[in-house]
Amino acid sequence: MTAHTLEKLLPQGTTAPRPMVQRGLAPSPFDARLRPLNLHQDWMPWAGYLSARRFDSVEAEYFAIRNQATLFDISPMHKYRVTGPDAERVMNRLMTRDVRKLKPGRVGYSLWCDEDGYVIDDGTLFRFGDDDFRLCCQEPQYAWLLDIAWGFDVQVHEESDEIAGLSLQGPTSFAVLEAAGLGQLATLKPFDVVKVDDDLTVSRTGFTGDLGYELWVPAEKALALWDRIWAAGHDFGLRPIGYAALDLARTEAGFVVCGVDFKSIHTALRPSRGRTPFELGADRLVDFSKGPFNGRRALLKHAKDGPRYQLVGLEIEGNKAPHSAYVYHRKKTEAGHITSTLWSPTCKRNIALAMLKAPYGVDVTGDLWVEIYHDKEGKWERIMAPAWIAERPFFRHTRRAATPPARF
Amino acid sequence: MTRYDAIVIGAGHNGLTAAGVLARGGRRVLVLEKNAGLGGAAAGYEIAPGFQAPRYAHLLHAWHPQIEKQLDLAANGLSFARRDLPTLALAEDGAHVVIEGGAARLLSGAAHPDAAAYATLHRRLVRFAGVLSAKLLETPPQFHRPDWRDLASLAKLGFDVRRLGAADAREFLRVLLSNARDVILDEIGDGPLAGALALDAVMGGHTGPRSPGTALTLLYRLAQGGGRHLPKGGMAAFCTALAQSAQSHGAEIRRSAGVAAVTVENDRVTGVLLDSGETLGAPVVLSSLDTRTTLALTGVEHFDAEAVRRVRHIRCKGATAKINLALSGLPAFTGVDPDDLTGRILVAPSVQSLETGFDAVKYGELPAHPALEVLIPSRLDPTLVDGGGHVMSIIVQYVPYHLKDGWTAGARERLAATVLDLLERHAPGLRSLIVAQDVLTPLDIERETGAPGGHWHHGELAVDQMLTLRPVNGMARYALPVGGLYLCGAAAHPGGDIIGAAGHNAARQAMKAPQTKTEGHAA
Repeated sequence: MTAHTLEKLLPQGTTAPRPMVQRGLAPSPFDARLRPLNLHQDWMPWAGYLSARRFDSVEAEYFAIRNQATLFDISPMHKYRVTGPDAERVMNRLMTRDVRKLKPGRVGYSLWCDEDGYVIDDGTLFRFGDDDFRLCCQEPQYAWLLDIAWGFDVQVHEESDEIAGLSLQGPTSFAVLEAAGLGQLATLKPFDVVKVDDDLTVSRTGFTGDLGYELWVPAEKALALWDRIWAAGHDFGLRPIGYAALDLARTEAGFVVCGVDFKSIHTALRPSRGRTPFELGADRLVDFSKGPFNGRRALLKHAKDGPRYQLVGLEIEGNKAPHSAYVYHRKKTEAGHITSTLWSPTCKRNIALAMLKAPYGVDVTGDLWVEIYHDKEGKWERIMAPAWIAERPFFRHTRRAATPPARF
Repeated sequence: MTRYDAIVIGAGHNGLTAAGVLARGGRRVLVLEKNAGLGGAAAGYEIAPGFQAPRYAHLLHAWHPQIEKQLDLAANGLSFARRDLPTLALAEDGAHVVIEGGAARLLSGAAHPDAAAYATLHRRLVRFAGVLSAKLLETPPQFHRPDWRDLASLAKLGFDVRRLGAADAREFLRVLLSNARDVILDEIGDGPLAGALALDAVMGGHTGPRSPGTALTLLYRLAQGGGRHLPKGGMAAFCTALAQSAQSHGAEIRRSAGVAAVTVENDRVTGVLLDSGETLGAPVVLSSLDTRTTLALTGVEHFDAEAVRRVRHIRCKGATAKINLALSGLPAFTGVDPDDLTGRILVAPSVQSLETGFDAVKYGELPAHPALEVLIPSRLDPTLVDGGGHVMSIIVQYVPYHLKDGWTAGARERLAATVLDLLERHAPGLRSLIVAQDVLTPLDIERETGAPGGHWHHGELAVDQMLTLRPVNGMARYALPVGGLYLCGAAAHPGGDIIGAAGHNAARQAMKAPQTKTEGHAA
C-alpha cells in the first residue's frame, strides 16, 4: 500500500563520501603552543581532547602554582550557553542553590541533582546578563539541560568547542595580566566576570585556592591570547602546567572532582552509588527556601534521614600519601576510603579527601586510621597511621580574595 | 474565594465517578467541565433534530458492576436497553457469524466449524482475564518500599495465577506478553470470528494484532467477561445518572468552566484558576485530563525533569475515528434479518486484514480497508429517535492522528466515503437513508475531549504503560508528586474504556491521604 522504501529515504544518486570525523583525541585550540612546550609529550584524555598531564616536572609546576604564575588549558571543559526569557527559571530549576541571587557579572559554584537527590555534576555558572548564562562543568550535560529546559522559553547551546579557556593562576597572575595590558582587571573581585572586549571575557575564578583568573575567547582567537599572556609572563615566572600539578593544588584547596571524589549519578553503576550534596559536604549549596528545583523533594527526605556517607577532609600522620587507602575506625572496622591525597608541600603535612560511610564522619569522628602501603627504599611496607578529620580547605591564601590584588 | 474539599477537573465518566465517590465520602466536591455538555468521551448528543447519538463511545464495555452499585446508579436513573449485546461479524462471502460470549454460530443457523475451539479459547481467556481483573479496582502496588497491602496484592496475584492449575498457569504466563494474533490463530482459523476477537485487542489503540503485548489488551477487554451493555436513553442518560449520583450527595458540577491552571503553594495544590480568571480553593485537585496536560496546567517547574521526560514519552497516538449517522430508516443488510441488528456489527473480516489495515496508521494515510464496529442503538432503544428514523454509530479503527496531508475537509469526506462504501457492500442503499452525518477524526477527539493524540485511553494501553507503569513509573498510585494533586482519568490505572475504575480508585486514594500533608512528604 505504501511505497516507503529505504531508497526513498536516502538522497537520490548521491555517492558523496562520508563526512570526515575526528578520530582519537582532538587537539585543543592551544595545541600549536602546548605541543612544543610539552617536553615529555605526556598527554591524557579530557572530554575528547588531548590534555597535558605534565609539561616538565610535576613538582616544578606545582611550586609555580603556589609561588609564580601558571597557565592551564581548560578548553576541554563542557560549556553551555543558556539564553532566553526563562533562562533564570531554567537555571534555578537545575541548580540546588538560588540562582536568582546570582547577579549579572557574577559567577556561582553550584551542583545539580537528579530526581533522587543524587549529584549529577558540579560546575560554575556564569551570569552575563538577566537572560544569559554559561554553565561550565566536567561531564557532558547537553541532553540533561534539554530535559531541564523542556517546557520553558530558552535556548540551550553547546559551546564546548567554540570557546577556548585559559586558567591563569598563582600569586603573580595579576602582575602577568597587568603586563599584558589588562591592568583594568584590578577591580575584579573573586567570582566576578567581565567582558574585556568583543572577544575576551575574564573571570576571577580558579581551582587552586589562590589568586587566579580564567580567560575565555572564541577558539580561533586562542593562539593570540596565549601569545599575549605568554609574552607578558616572562618576568613573572609563568609556566604551563598539566593536570598532575593542578590536581595537587586543588586537593589542598579542598575542591572535589566529579568522577574522582564522587561519581555522577548519570554514570554510577547503581542508584545507591550516587551521593547527595549533603554527603559531599555541600549543605550550604542547597537552598530549600527558593521554591521547586530538581530533586528538591528527595533532598528534603535526605536532609531528614541524614547522610549515608560523608566526604571529609583528613590529615594523616607521616609523609606517605595514602593513595586509594582504606580508612579504619579503631584500626579494625572499615570506615571508608581515600579519594584524593598528597603530602602537601605547602601545608607540610599529609592531607586527603575521604569518603566515609555513616556513622563514620557523621557521628563517629574520632579514632580513625589509614592503612598505607608504600615502597620504602625498595621494600614494601605497611603503615597503620592515625588520621583526624580536618577543615576543608586545607589551603586558602588571603591574597586569593584581596582586591585590588597584590602584584606578587 | 469559594473553598471545596476537592475539585475534579473534567466531567467525563471518570471525573463524575470520582466526584460520586468523594461526595459519598462526605467531601464537598466541585466538578469543572470546560464543555457545555457532560460526559467527555462518553457524551451523547443530538446529531440532527430528534436523533440522539453517542458522540464517541457507544457502549459500556467492562463497566464495573461494583462501581454501579456503589454509586446507586440504578436509583439515579441508569437502566439498560440490553446487557451483553451479541456481536454480528460480517463476512465478505455472506457467511456472517453471530457471537454471544463464548458461543459462535453462523447466522444461517449452521454450526461454525471453529465453534468448539472458540468456546475453549474464550473460556480460557476470560479465566485469565479474571486473574487480572481483580487488579482493576486496586491501586497498583509500589515496589519501592511496599507496605503490607502491596505485598498482599502481589501475593494474591501470584496465588491467583497458581490457582489456574499448573497447565493453565503455564499457558497464562506464556501468552501474557505475546500478541493477539498468535493467541487467536493458534486455536482457530482466520476469518470474521478470529477478526472479531482480534478487533477487541486492538480497538482504540495504535497496535495491530501482531503487535507485542496485544494479548494483554485482549485480556483487559475480557475483564468482567467482556460483556458490552447499552444504557437505556443512550450514553447521555448514562452520564446524567453519574452526574445525579454525585449531585445527590452534594457535589456541584459547573459546565463551561475551563481550568487555566492548578495553583500550587509550598509544593501543595491550593485550588484552580479558571479561564474566567476566577480562583477556587481546595486542598485536593483530581484531574481526569491526560498526564501531560495536567503537568502543563500545574506548571512544569513543579515536576522533576525525569518525571517530565517520562510523561513526554508516553506513547499516545490515537488510531480511531468516529462516524455518526442519522438515518431515515433501518438499513437493510443483505442476508441479515432486522432482528439480528440489535448488537455490535463488525467489519473485520480477518486478523490479517486488521494487521494490513494498521499500515495506514503507521504511514499517516487514510485507510483503504478500515475495521468497523457499528451499532444501531435505536434498534434496541427507540426513545433515541423521535419518529421513525435510526441512528448509526460507527467506530473506525486505523485512522491516523497525523494524516500525511493534514485533516482537510476533503480528507474527512474521503474517509466517510471509504467507510460508507465498505458498509454499502453489506447494506446497499445505506447512503440514501442518511439524514445527517458527522465525521470525528482523532484530531476532533483531542480537541473536544482533551484526549491527547485523540487516543481513547490517554496513553497506549500496553504492557509498558500498565499497572505500576501507568501513566509512568512513579505516578502509578494516582497521587502526583505535588501534594494533593491526583490523576483520576484514563491516563491512570487501569486506563481507558468506560470502566470508571480510574475515577473510583483515585477518589479512594485521595480520601486516604490526610487533608494536609507536611512539606517534603508529598511523593
